[in-house]
Amino acid sequence: MLEVRDITVRYDTREILRDVSLTLQSGQMIALVGANGAGKTTLIRAMNGTLPLSAGRIELDGRPIAGLSRREIAQRIAVVAQENETRFPVTVIDFVLAGRFASGKAFGWETARDLEFAENALQSCDLDGYHDRLMDHLSGGERQRVVLARALAAGSMTLLLDEPTANLDLSHQAMMFRLVRKRCADCGCSAVVITHDLNLAAEFADEIVMLKDGKIAAKGTPAEVLIAENVIHAFGVDVLLDRHPVSGNVRVTSVF
Amino acid sequence: MATYLTTVRKNDPKLNYLLVGGGLLLLLIIVLFGAAMLGAERLPLFDLTEQQRSILFDIRLPRILLGACVGASLAVAGAGLQSLLRNPLAEPYLLGVSNGAALGTMLAFVYFQSFEWARPLLAFAGAGAATVAVYRMARSRTGMNVERLVLSGVIVTTFLSSVIVMLTTLLDAAKLRSFTFWLLGDLSQSTMNGVYISCGALLVGTLVMTSQAKALNLMMVGERDAFDFGVEVGRVRLLVFGAASLVVGAAVAASGSVGYVGLIVPHLVRLTVGTDNRYVIPFSAIVGGIFVVFADTVARTAIAPRELPVGAITALIGAPLFIYLLRKN
Amino acid sequence: MRNSLKLSAILILAAAVMGACRGSTVAPNAADAPKHEPRAVTDDMGRRVTVPAAVTRVVSLAPSVTEMIFAVGAGDRLVGVTTFCNYPEQARSIAKIGDTMTPNMETIVALRPDVVFVSSASQLEGFTKLLEQNGIAVYVIDPQSLPDLYGKSLRQLGTLFDKYDDASRLADSLERRHRDICRITNGCAGRAEGGTGPAAVRVFVQVSREPLFTVGRSSFLSQVIRDAGGILATENVETAFPKLSKETASALNPEVLILSDSEDNKEPNDAFKNAPAVKNGRVYRVNADLISRPGPRLIDALEQIAMDLHPEKFR
Repeated sequence: MLEVRDITVRYDTREILRDVSLTLQSGQMIALVGANGAGKTTLIRAMNGTLPLSAGRIELDGRPIAGLSRREIAQRIAVVAQENETRFPVTVIDFVLAGRFASGKAFGWETARDLEFAENALQSCDLDGYHDRLMDHLSGGERQRVVLARALAAGSMTLLLDEPTANLDLSHQAMMFRLVRKRCADCGCSAVVITHDLNLAAEFADEIVMLKDGKIAAKGTPAEVLIAENVIHAFGVDVLLDRHPVSGNVRVTSVF
Repeated sequence: MATYLTTVRKNDPKLNYLLVGGGLLLLLIIVLFGAAMLGAERLPLFDLTEQQRSILFDIRLPRILLGACVGASLAVAGAGLQSLLRNPLAEPYLLGVSNGAALGTMLAFVYFQSFEWARPLLAFAGAGAATVAVYRMARSRTGMNVERLVLSGVIVTTFLSSVIVMLTTLLDAAKLRSFTFWLLGDLSQSTMNGVYISCGALLVGTLVMTSQAKALNLMMVGERDAFDFGVEVGRVRLLVFGAASLVVGAAVAASGSVGYVGLIVPHLVRLTVGTDNRYVIPFSAIVGGIFVVFADTVARTAIAPRELPVGAITALIGAPLFIYLLRKN
Repeated sequence: MRNSLKLSAILILAAAVMGACRGSTVAPNAADAPKHEPRAVTDDMGRRVTVPAAVTRVVSLAPSVTEMIFAVGAGDRLVGVTTFCNYPEQARSIAKIGDTMTPNMETIVALRPDVVFVSSASQLEGFTKLLEQNGIAVYVIDPQSLPDLYGKSLRQLGTLFDKYDDASRLADSLERRHRDICRITNGCAGRAEGGTGPAAVRVFVQVSREPLFTVGRSSFLSQVIRDAGGILATENVETAFPKLSKETASALNPEVLILSDSEDNKEPNDAFKNAPAVKNGRVYRVNADLISRPGPRLIDALEQIAMDLHPEKFR
């Protein structure tokens, strides 16, 4: 369980987050939505213990995250950050195996278990046969899936995903969310997903947290959060809300 | 080659790396033996006179062993710094580490000539100071980008070069000549003591660097990623910078600035075995040793009984080779 | 009060008169100079150099040249020397124009010399053009041997400075001392005639200990060592100042080691630890300035080396 209590984050004098609280229960999937610059990425980085807090505290399984080592945190939380590039010709399997860093010994070779985790992660991200492809030869979408596979290979109970679907095609977007959803259901894992796709959020998330200017604008089930008033407040656009004809969940359509 | 290795690696990775490592070690031994057979003086294989034994054991062997240590040191430092700084162009020479060490050595040369440890100690201090300076300059609030890093390296390198040139005006004519020769990379002043110091530094440096190899694998693709996945980034940085300064300091104190080794050797190794630092670092050590021993054998024999500076030979081989590799990728 | 005023007036007047006098002593010289036409002289490289009739201000770009100019009695005309010029003692107080390879052209031109003396072809190439553009003559003094020095260079310098008698006396004395040494060592047969007699001692000249620099055949020291009754162990190395392989050095087995005496060249290189020279204690230090400068003091170096090589002949 990851608990965020009244945190405030500042860069110099600028306040990025103010009095944000949320609780990530085991098995739960939270979608984090909001306009650009609302503080979504900052919140995820703070939850990972990467940013110094100006106020408030974050607890991981009841222990303050500030008191944990990087290794202890990484064993429990895996992050899929927004894309970055490498100038080295790293193979996909090497890249994914690096995700096992916190689970294994600091030096030595990978165990059979490490390899098994990596294989499974690749498979579930639809990356069979990619082992020896080089990272710098992959398309943006393929790379994004490898980055996700690395996070899955870490085998941690909590996943924090920063726009994991940004470069993905329609089918892989759905695959991504289904995968994370299934993990939460199967092993009691939990996840926070930043996304701009309110429909995907409505479809898969247990809870939606809507940020506006560093503060929580709305929080609750998709049906509670995705109301016209909130969406207009957070994004400043007019929307049409109805029900998805197949799943029956909320559906958001922009009105131009 | 790279794809071949990684393909078979799935079946039994360790065996293949063992084969490559074994092959490289064998090659190193062959090169060492070959270098021991060649020199300005022809030596018979057996029945050496006392004088010939002295030439072999007091002059030739220390020089060959020191060459191997220096090559290994520079290559290991290059491999480590490249991964740490996420830049395949990072190199002790380019980053000013070598020049820092050179300045330290020069101060020892001018002011503490009588104290034998002054050279390696001041070289280490100089290398460390230059590394920290470049790193701090390259780092901005938004993190570190590659262009800033290379630029900072060039600035620190040229700055230190001018300080060195200014200091040379303090030298008299005789000292100036020996210093200039040393600055170009010269192994002719090898003694067994030098070999012990350099080998000791190399051993410690390589062990530290290899112990951080797994962390470096993550650092190589992103510092923030590495942090997220449990790497104590600050500690790794400190250890790798420290180890690089240690080995480069010892190497420069012993032989001056031997260029290009730290750049092309890790590059060649990555082309062969991929990017996993657990292999790249130790294999670079072996290949670096081979490269410098080979280059120094050329330096010793090409215009015998006169000699060339080994740094001229490594640059002569290294620069075109590097351009070729750059264009090929 | 009035007295002191008067005194001041006298002093000022005296100063004015003295100033006028000094001016008037300079004036005739300056006026004289154009009377004589400039003349042409030949330097050591066979170049014709046009110099003023009276050469009064010169700059030397080499310590050996500075020593020669002082030796012919024209040291007072030197207005600029290099930072390496440390002999004779008076040379230290002359304005410095930089070192031999990087002299400061502005400083030289500002000194308004009649002639600048250089000691090598490389210096000639490097600096001549700029100096001649400024109307300054460039004169090469580059003796290749002792006979060159006393037979040609010094006498030409004498002509140039109008000090012919002093220069001849000096040259004759050098020649006499050289012949004396040759008579004793019997070593001056010359390279062309097949070298030295059976008594020739194999000599290694250690210019610097680390890295190991020595001298080869092209160096003027090669002939000096022959004259002294020895032969360079590195006689078959072409370069003048080669960096030598220690392996080769060790295999040369020199009978005598001559160390160019400087702070970090006090001991033989380790490569010589088994050489006869070291085992028999035949390691000699010679002042580095004496053996590195082809100037008048080279004769001192020759005498010292001859005595070191053949002490029995000098008893």
